[in-house]
Amino acid sequence: MLQGLYAAASGMEATQTQFDAISNDIANLSTPGYQSEEVGFADLLYSGGGSSAGSSVATGSGTVATVIGRNQEQGAIDQTGDPLDVAISGDGYLAVRRNDGSTGLTRNGALQVDSLGQLTNQDGNVVVPPITLPKGVQPGQVSIAANGDVTTAGRKLGKITLVTVPAPDQLQPDGHGTFSVTSGSGATRAAAGATLQQGAVEGSNVDLSEAMNTMVTAERAYQMAGQAIQYQDQMLQIANGIKK
Amino acid sequence: MDSGLYIAASGMLAEQVRQNQLSNDLANSSTPGYKPQEGQQQSFGALLLANTSTGQTVGTIDTGVTVGKLVTDTTQAPLQSTGQPLDFAIGGQGYFAVRTAAGVSYTRDGQFSSNAAGQLTDAQGDPVLSQAGAPILVSAKGTVSASALGVFNANNVAQKGGTLLSGTAAGRGTGVVHQGELEQSGVDPIQTMTDMIASLRAYQAGQSALQSIDQTMQEDATSVPSLGGS
Repeated sequence: MLQGLYAAASGMEATQTQFDAISNDIANLSTPGYQSEEVGFADLLYSGGGSSAGSSVATGSGTVATVIGRNQEQGAIDQTGDPLDVAISGDGYLAVRRNDGSTGLTRNGALQVDSLGQLTNQDGNVVVPPITLPKGVQPGQVSIAANGDVTTAGRKLGKITLVTVPAPDQLQPDGHGTFSVTSGSGATRAAAGATLQQGAVEGSNVDLSEAMNTMVTAERAYQMAGQAIQYQDQMLQIANGIKK
Repeated sequence: MDSGLYIAASGMLAEQVRQNQLSNDLANSSTPGYKPQEGQQQSFGALLLANTSTGQTVGTIDTGVTVGKLVTDTTQAPLQSTGQPLDFAIGGQGYFAVRTAAGVSYTRDGQFSSNAAGQLTDAQGDPVLSQAGAPILVSAKGTVSASALGVFNANNVAQKGGTLLSGTAAGRGTGVVHQGELEQSGVDPIQTMTDMIASLRAYQAGQSALQSIDQTMQEDATSVPSLGGS
């Protein structure tokens, strides 16, 4: 009897996960390089009814939601005019070295120069491989080509290499727009077909109208699962009422 | 007399199974490729009643109801465009096949991903199979051609969780694979809610029948002896 109660509750819980993901997406509507979260649903295990009626019948125990990765769609390229902003078109990430020595991958290409003249991301993590601007060279004098070549007045300073992994859905998000490589995602490799555009950043790929649409659907699903719990509760009440 | 009690109870038990199944359907109203279940109720074997003194047959009486089996409703659900390169949907007949640790399973949920080896996998990490039964490699650009995915027919499909279905292979399916789309859940929430209300009332009716029979038996137990004593 109680199985249906829990199946309905699992539906509410799964919808809650979806709400959390959408809320996070909407909050990151203006975060450069942000990729929206993808929520997947799956049904749970099926087991025998257990009661004399339909003991050969396996009913399910509800649903579960999981964040199955990030939306890999290209975000809109926004022109900023800042010479150190680069937008990535295509499937690829910038690699940065974090303070703890680990490598982070990011699509947020709003770069800066640190006190040593090295190119860093917004959190001050150095771009890998490192590119140092010689003393006296202003950011405005730097040009970054589509293939990542960084030059100033015809002199090559280095190359921004774009990387990707076999399974981008398995990258672990670490906040601040960076991701870590995991055993599930596989090792990094050069990104095929990804190019850079100087003076622009990739906007968040969150589609607000789609997010709102999903929110309304999720809200209804939540309501209906709640109603189902009430029906189950009423049945239990009726069962209790057999003995006056 | 008391067989009526058990008949009413069997009806209530069957409605419980139905409620569990409807709750599960409703909870999966957002699960891509989910196929709702339909309970098939059937009666227990009928009893032949006979007059105990003359031996003359009176007729048959049914002894209640049970849910014989749950049948998966494999009707095509609408396809929804997602724009994701690794989302696939089948229009028409057939299933995707994935290789799990316990053998090949089938699914209509084409919300796929890739693993570290660059293979196309389902949400649990099981490789999706081509028509030849081999894992499918994702290109360096993170895409897979829709024609690379195998479409299989399967018999006796039954849900086993994780949007997977068990079944026996029955050759190639006739469905067409669409890229960037997902098949929605086959659950019709309005129909399911209505069924739940109907089931709830049937359950209540069973309870009322139980109570009426109980009342009759109470009358038997209390009034009949007192009549004899007067």
